[in-house]
Amino acid sequence: MIRERKTVAELLAAWQSDAVMQNRVQHVKVIGEKPATYADFPEDLHPSIVKALQARNINQLYCHQRQAFDFAMNGQSFTAVTPTASGKSFCYHLPVLQTIMQNKEARALYLFPTKALAQDQKTEMNTLIEAMDEEILSYTFDGDTAPGIRQKVRKAGHIVMTNPDMLHAGILPHHTKWVSLFENLKFIIVDELHTYKGVFGSHVAHVLRRLQRICRYYGSNPLFICTSATIQNPKELAEKLTHVQHELIDDNGAPSGKKTFLFYNPPIVNPTFGVRRSAILEVKDLAKKLYEAEIQTIIFAKSRVRVEMLVTYLKSLTKQRIHDESVRGYRGGYLPSERRAIEKGLREGTIKTVVSTNALELGVDIGQLQACIMTGYPGNIASAWQQAGRAGRRQDEALIIYVAQSTALDQYIIQHPNYLLGNKPEEARVHPDNMLILMDHLKCAAFELPFKAGEDYAEFDVKDLLDYLTEEKILLKTSDTWHWMTDSFPSHNISLRSASQENVVIIDTSNTGSANVIGEMDRYSAMTLLHEEAIYIHQGTQYQVEKLDWEEKKAFVREVDVNYFTDANIAVELKVISEDQTKKIGAATVSYGDVMTLATATIFKKIRFNTHDNIGSGPIDLPPEEMHTSSTWMNFDQPLDWTEDDLNGAMLGVAYAMNSFIPLYIQSDRSDVHVVPQVKALHNSKPTFFIYDSYPGGIGLSERIYDLWQPLIEHVYEHVMVCSCQIGCPSCIGAQDQSGDAKDKVIQFLQSFLLEELIK
Amino acid sequence: MSYEKKILQMKQLLKKTSTDAVKKEQQVSFEKPQEPFYSADWVSAGLQQLQNDLGTVFLKETHYSLDYQHGKYKLGQFYEALALWDHYEDDHPIKLTSEDMPVFYDTETTGLKGVGTHIFLNGLLEESAEGFTLKQYVLADPSNEAAFLWESKFWQGEKAVITYNGKSFDWPQLQTRWTLNRQILPPLRTHHQIDLFHISKRIWKNDLSRMKLSNIEVAKLDFHRVDDLPGYLAPIVYLDAVRSGESTSLFQVLRHNEYDLLSLITLFIQATELVFSTAAKDSANVHTNIGKWYSDLKQEERGQKLLEGVVHQYSEKEAAMANYLLAFDKKKNRAFSEAAHYWLAALPYLEERPLVEASIELAKLYEHQLGEIATAQRYTLQALNKVKMSAIWKKEAKINKIKQLEKRYIRLKRKER
Repeated sequence: MIRERKTVAELLAAWQSDAVMQNRVQHVKVIGEKPATYADFPEDLHPSIVKALQARNINQLYCHQRQAFDFAMNGQSFTAVTPTASGKSFCYHLPVLQTIMQNKEARALYLFPTKALAQDQKTEMNTLIEAMDEEILSYTFDGDTAPGIRQKVRKAGHIVMTNPDMLHAGILPHHTKWVSLFENLKFIIVDELHTYKGVFGSHVAHVLRRLQRICRYYGSNPLFICTSATIQNPKELAEKLTHVQHELIDDNGAPSGKKTFLFYNPPIVNPTFGVRRSAILEVKDLAKKLYEAEIQTIIFAKSRVRVEMLVTYLKSLTKQRIHDESVRGYRGGYLPSERRAIEKGLREGTIKTVVSTNALELGVDIGQLQACIMTGYPGNIASAWQQAGRAGRRQDEALIIYVAQSTALDQYIIQHPNYLLGNKPEEARVHPDNMLILMDHLKCAAFELPFKAGEDYAEFDVKDLLDYLTEEKILLKTSDTWHWMTDSFPSHNISLRSASQENVVIIDTSNTGSANVIGEMDRYSAMTLLHEEAIYIHQGTQYQVEKLDWEEKKAFVREVDVNYFTDANIAVELKVISEDQTKKIGAATVSYGDVMTLATATIFKKIRFNTHDNIGSGPIDLPPEEMHTSSTWMNFDQPLDWTEDDLNGAMLGVAYAMNSFIPLYIQSDRSDVHVVPQVKALHNSKPTFFIYDSYPGGIGLSERIYDLWQPLIEHVYEHVMVCSCQIGCPSCIGAQDQSGDAKDKVIQFLQSFLLEELIK
Repeated sequence: MSYEKKILQMKQLLKKTSTDAVKKEQQVSFEKPQEPFYSADWVSAGLQQLQNDLGTVFLKETHYSLDYQHGKYKLGQFYEALALWDHYEDDHPIKLTSEDMPVFYDTETTGLKGVGTHIFLNGLLEESAEGFTLKQYVLADPSNEAAFLWESKFWQGEKAVITYNGKSFDWPQLQTRWTLNRQILPPLRTHHQIDLFHISKRIWKNDLSRMKLSNIEVAKLDFHRVDDLPGYLAPIVYLDAVRSGESTSLFQVLRHNEYDLLSLITLFIQATELVFSTAAKDSANVHTNIGKWYSDLKQEERGQKLLEGVVHQYSEKEAAMANYLLAFDKKKNRAFSEAAHYWLAALPYLEERPLVEASIELAKLYEHQLGEIATAQRYTLQALNKVKMSAIWKKEAKINKIKQLEKRYIRLKRKER
């Protein structure tokens, strides 16, 4: 292989004269440099902080850092919107250090979504403190903290850096050991605010409510400082998450370098079906070009499986060289030590190409890379910018390549680059009202401090729920107080991260006698990824699942070497339990309420690498998973001259497209909500589209969609109309049989019923 | 799933308060809690009901004469043990003299950890006019906790608190409960702690396989519990008692706690006797442990005397560890050939780890002090082979050890020429 080091500019110039590249790159956007906006140091900034900043050659602040300082010192909670590499940490470090210099008893609690981020920040903080030459103690506190220094952290740490999980299970349930922290807590820092959305965010919203309850008990009333990537509603999210009023800082003063954004569409390989060449294969080729030019690149892929497929492909580039580690994968499910080593390799440049799931969207410190490739649209604008932000060193030009898949949303983006480039990112939502999540944390709160009659839990009046817990013999009510009265430790059974509470452990049995745990996976994903005979890929190595012990939540795998991967289908039944809201849109009725779903994994297909041919299939024998969740649905009268079959086909096509476009309106992944069409729904015997949250109890997504049916259907119609395929394709209504007239039916259905008759 | 269904059906019960509502100031004034509905029942079952300013608490008080026999000791022998310590000038982890105010302390709790775990029984065994008095305070209900904690009297005086694993369990639990009531209670004072769990581990290491108090009772104190309620059932009994008011099983918990506390006195007597004995009371292993303990406390003279006693009174095989440990003392005092003599005596009977250490020490002595390079080589080789064959070291430690030994061997080879 020829390796010739090139700069991004040289590579781009070479591509200019490459006809194939020219043909496939459908849009180029160059984002120019942006100069910095500065502000002076605050007058009263402590001399040792000034000294430390000057030692780093910093003589001014960016304007957003100064604004942050002023808010904080005035006792105002705030949220700062900060792109990658914009000096966001000064937004909280400076006021925290200033406050500690003024009052040595003052304490600050930093929350990062992961341990790795806390480690990073501790290192940075300690460098700063060292330069200040002051006695300020800053520690991380997590599962890795040695028992020997825990006592010291609790009693003397001015700054404690931890994660929500540790706060939830390791700190709050033991708050009496942290009296000096809680009595003197002045700041709670929530970094990477935008990651606290959906289920995880809803859990964390409660952890923060419990934290505030403990603070009130000890007489402190800390400020919140949040930093967030760009999303549509940072202030609203912060307020919902922290239950405190926030000011917003979104005027970022940091400079940024030149970025070239390429919109790359793979070639059509089957014009009739509108099928394009697989994005993964295209990414593989592009990554090879960047690798050969020695441009350090990060590739984002949406699923674990895709990450592993790409790693497998790309590792073949380095096959000749023994012990070559220049291509690596990085995703959830790897062991922490493995992840730390990869992060280090990236910073030091020994790793040239890393393939990641969105795990690296977060601010894990890997330094800035030169190029970023997105395998498909990450589902929302905020994520796209987060991923793009990984590329861009200050002195160097950055290259971002978006490679579209055949899906509707991906093709929409490539046809409308301004949607991505010109729009504000979507909103992020949390839903602390989810009853299951609320109940979990109410138990934890009751464990931590008894509830007094008349006491609310944050915005909730929980008297009836406490009475229920009393009946269940979890609490004991004395005259005016509910006390925890059982021998369990509630936070240990409540995981903030996973949808289902139990994860499936993946055990490698390739070496007889030394079974080895290589990862874990949530139950819902396991139904489709760890069923028996599934090919599970970990760090580019293929394993076949030999046995899935569903009772014990263990998957036993063995290393194999096959030329295919597997893909599984899921079938869903739906029952309406309660209808909370309902309204008419034209002749259609839309409703919102609770549903019960029954998901059954049905069959899996074996798909050959490279060609992606279907080379076999098999049944999946797992018990159905029942789920109570929230949903919105739209029903209408059965159109007169339609057969049930035709209607079914048309509704499937519309549902396919709807599912694709929901992420345009709310920040969610395709899999966060499901769209299910039924020609005769159980509860009303009418044709009905259901859209439901894929998490027990719901996380507020379908509630939003209740108000969005009309634009959603209009969007679907427009897109199907302009799609260049003839009979329906993965970009609009999903792949169809060659003989069918499905696309015509869908269009007819949309025109005559959904738009003209129903939604006038 | 049925739990999930149930919870989700309760959605209607959830009410939300307006976010803007001004938070009510928390009440700081203390109101005396009500007594529980079962007070009369518990009294007729045999508990005393106490009322103090902070609320209600129940008490069971039991007296024991000095002649009271518990296992192989009479409780009065406690004073013989104290007399021994009265003449002991240095510090020692179980030193307790007639000057001290000893209180044997054991709790029962509703769980294992965290702020939601309550102490529901404080058992305090103290000296009294005619012998000993056990006061077992029972938490009336969680709202009466301050009254319960108050009666422990740990807010006054300076006591010697003697526990079994109290340093990591009972005392931190008490601190947690105290912190939660700190607005009402006087501050919890620091008391001298003697934890007989740690002491038992020092004395009976490699002698008893499990350091549970009930194991020690059988093996060393000759006490056999009758109808004892297993400790893990205690939480359930209490949780049930405060809900139903039914107290029958509670008395079984009280008896379990009583056994624990009486055994603590006799365990203290036994431990003291062993610490003061010459090498003839228990096994060579136990006396060697105690000898090493003295050395670790920097009371080498006592340690050496005891270890020498072991060497004199037991076979070379039984005294192997004593010989091994004595050799280090000799080396420290630069009595090199004596040190070599002790290690050589120990060598045939040592277990892997000390065997390797002794071989290395011998190699060092022969190389640097005694100038016998060939002998030094032999012991280095012996250690090296042992490490290579052994499975007790972790991979990294093993590799390191082998590297060091190989380096030593190469150096010795060079010196030979």
